[in-house]
Amino acid sequence: MAGPYSSRPPIMSVKVEDSMDIMIVRDTARRAAGLIGFTPAHRAQISSAAATLAELVLKTGEAHTIRLTGVTNGAEIGLQISSETPWLAGVSAQNVLVALRSKMGDLVDEILLLGDADPTIVVVMWLNSVNAAKQDADQADE
Amino acid sequence: MALEVLLVEDSKTQAAQIKETLESVGLRVRVAYDGPDGIREAIENPPSLIVLDVKLPTMDGFQVCRRLKRNPATQDVPIIMLTEKAGPKATMSGLRAGADDYIPKDIFASEHLIGTLQELGILE
Repeated sequence: MAGPYSSRPPIMSVKVEDSMDIMIVRDTARRAAGLIGFTPAHRAQISSAAATLAELVLKTGEAHTIRLTGVTNGAEIGLQISSETPWLAGVSAQNVLVALRSKMGDLVDEILLLGDADPTIVVVMWLNSVNAAKQDADQADE
Repeated sequence: MALEVLLVEDSKTQAAQIKETLESVGLRVRVAYDGPDGIREAIENPPSLIVLDVKLPTMDGFQVCRRLKRNPATQDVPIIMLTEKAGPKATMSGLRAGADDYIPKDIFASEHLIGTLQELGILE
């Protein structure tokens, strides 16, 4: 599995070949996020990020696979969305990350580009950061 | 007694389809066809849930959502935005306006809507 974190269920993948598959990616991401325990609002964020990544890879004109994987980092649990993007080999990682962050930086916690020869876009949203943000908001309300 | 949903949707065809989905799981549905009507209906008689379109005449769904979340009579009523605007910016605009969920109108919309109703405790 691509990415710096340990994987855990759910582990799902969707092959993206045409625009209909974007809808399937969105649906699958929403289900995966639900299995991990994200709220409906955060499922909406994650599924939007997954659909955005699917739209991006679809524009290359070649079939790609979007992988949705539960991940852990110590006590943190999250959902990782990734896709191998060989067409980005040789492109400045910094430029790619700037473009990705402007597109979906508000939706997820982390956006990474891993590997030089065979790059993979990895985005992660952590359940714990969502809960921590909610606790902060609740405390601010009190 | 069945819980009541306020559906704010300007398309009569889509309103009928969404109403049918909500009624199929035992909810009562009132329909408002634009934003100001939706706000007035919600404040005068707060429902258990509001299902809100984004593209509405006069006032868009984001504005309606913000107004309802600021009003003491409706601030605790869950709002699900059900919309054709599915991009990242629209999604974040909906969630920042206070929506409890943001569901694109695609072939999975009914299933996700019912799933969220269960999650929010509107349905058992």
